[in-house]
Amino acid sequence: MMMKKMMSREMKTVMAAAMAAMVLAGCSGSSGESTTAAPADTTAAIEAASAGEEAGETAGEAGDASYVIGIGQFAEHGSLDNCRTGFLQGLAEEGISEGTNLTILYENAQTDGGTASQIMDNFLAKDVDLICAIATPIAQSAYSATKNTDVPVIYTAVTDPVLAELASGDGTPVGEITGTSDKLPVESQLEMIRTLLPDAKTIGIMYSTSEINSESAIAEYKAAAPAYGFEIVESGVSSAADIPLAADSLLEKVDCINNLTDNTVVSSLPVILDKAAKKSIPVFGSEVEQVKIGCLASMGLDYISLGEQTGKMAAQVLKGEKKASEMNFEVIEQASFYGNNQVAANLGITIPAELADNAAALFDEITAE
Amino acid sequence: MSIVIGVLEEGLIYGIMALGLYITYRILDFPDLSVDGTFPMGAAVTAMLILKGVHPAATLFLSFGAGVLAGCITGIIHVKFKVRDLLSGIIMMTALYSVNLRIAGKSNVPIFSKETIFENAFLQERVPASLQPWLITIILLVIVIVCKVLLDLYLKTRSGYLLRAVGDNEVLVTSLAKDKGMVKIIGLALSNGFVALSGCVYCQQKGFFEISTGTGTMVMGLASVIIGTKLFGRLGWVKTTTAVILGTIVYKACVSIAIAFGLAASDLKLITAALFLVILVLSNRKERKVKVHA
Repeated sequence: MMMKKMMSREMKTVMAAAMAAMVLAGCSGSSGESTTAAPADTTAAIEAASAGEEAGETAGEAGDASYVIGIGQFAEHGSLDNCRTGFLQGLAEEGISEGTNLTILYENAQTDGGTASQIMDNFLAKDVDLICAIATPIAQSAYSATKNTDVPVIYTAVTDPVLAELASGDGTPVGEITGTSDKLPVESQLEMIRTLLPDAKTIGIMYSTSEINSESAIAEYKAAAPAYGFEIVESGVSSAADIPLAADSLLEKVDCINNLTDNTVVSSLPVILDKAAKKSIPVFGSEVEQVKIGCLASMGLDYISLGEQTGKMAAQVLKGEKKASEMNFEVIEQASFYGNNQVAANLGITIPAELADNAAALFDEITAE
Repeated sequence: MSIVIGVLEEGLIYGIMALGLYITYRILDFPDLSVDGTFPMGAAVTAMLILKGVHPAATLFLSFGAGVLAGCITGIIHVKFKVRDLLSGIIMMTALYSVNLRIAGKSNVPIFSKETIFENAFLQERVPASLQPWLITIILLVIVIVCKVLLDLYLKTRSGYLLRAVGDNEVLVTSLAKDKGMVKIIGLALSNGFVALSGCVYCQQKGFFEISTGTGTMVMGLASVIIGTKLFGRLGWVKTTTAVILGTIVYKACVSIAIAFGLAASDLKLITAALFLVILVLSNRKERKVKVHA
């Protein structure tokens, strides 16, 4: 009894102290905020300084212009991370590299739409020269936040910019916003599946009902499948928790599974791969990372080169060569073949020479993530 | 400067939602989780109607109506079918996910190219350029004040007094020969109406509907209500409804400051939870003191 009382009193003291700290933090924060635009500049300066010591040292050498780019990424997974890596490489090829004349502010919204728009407000407050938005929802947040400003937005990994209303029907931008699309090469993927599995009739596709990219991709697959003699069986999930059951039921019905760029499904891919491997059903991926972790093959995009292409567009805008509103969004024309020999061996399939010879990469082992 | 405007905009939009949660959580003492579904529902209804050519201002009322309907159903599940409060909210929230997808047709509906209450020919002609950056904030302020005043007025009516009585003392209401179940349903309906309205305004300001926007609405709303009532509620001249709206702005400011100081967005929920807990613990202490005084 005594002990309990003492404990709770102690708890209260701790809590009170914590609260006091919070209140103090809150006060200093809000007072800083009420004083006009100055604090935004100083925080930006602090950010710039802390971005890396070498930044401060070499910035002077670079001489001419130095830039601040805010990168907002919607979710955290391999493809999107590759976009970001590629984006920085693309910029570097154009002579704009982090540490010399470039400061990067990077935020990840962790699939939360509310956070996405606050990230954009924050970028604007820090006076970034350009915003890079990775994936559709955050690109839309970026567009709505920058509408009345002159900050250009470059997006990537937006499957259908027209459907997302970031570009007009003819491909011209709707404002100071342009970028690259990661539209799936549906036809080449179907052709590749036909080559690998001459007898297959049905393709199962799993997607999450909350992702618009997937819905348009499925519509495209359904339209194209009959020409290759396939029937598409779709299975929608509303969260990652539904995936195991949905995978079980889908695997009963199909000859192979084909993956989209659906964020929820891609994040749970190992679950699907495991179940499919037990039933010896091949799974096809939509990009290279998925093939590495156990998809049989993919006629997919290389997100790094997609990012590079995006980075080069950003460089043109930063250097003032072109305005974002003058550039139409771009797509990667050429899909490249990726295959996994280990998976093929497990399934008793040999990858035909016509595919293997033109492969961008063939992997000999399954790498766990 | 833009960060201050950003905080005000976000705070005012979610302030309408917090007014709704104030009714259920503070007045009725009902933790209503259905708001995680009614917030995007308001947005879905709005996006769908605007695409169909309905006047943007009309969508404010229609989405409020949709929210009222959803709130009624939560209330009926709880009162008539005797399902526990938390569970009836969860049932509604889950059902609304599918309903919202049906309403909007797909998970992400942009309305960038359409006129909204914030962007239309009428405003473009009349508002001077110097006022432009504040335009959204001013429009929001008008909407929020109208909502607040209407709610204040309602709480002073006969039905409003009953609503407050149900939260404080159910037995009293029964002894007045009034149906406390009905009062609860009305409260939930009103509350969800405000939440859907907030979703409607959110959708029009951001320019798109996205199914994932509802996640965490309730926690954010509760945090706002609690921050507001604890920080400002004890000042005699501030009405609780005003305090709740101020609370939302403070909450959004905290989040914004956290991001500005380089906190990873992935840690945001943890900060919310911690802030929430500290304020709750602190408010428990204060309430006990108040009771002693009474």
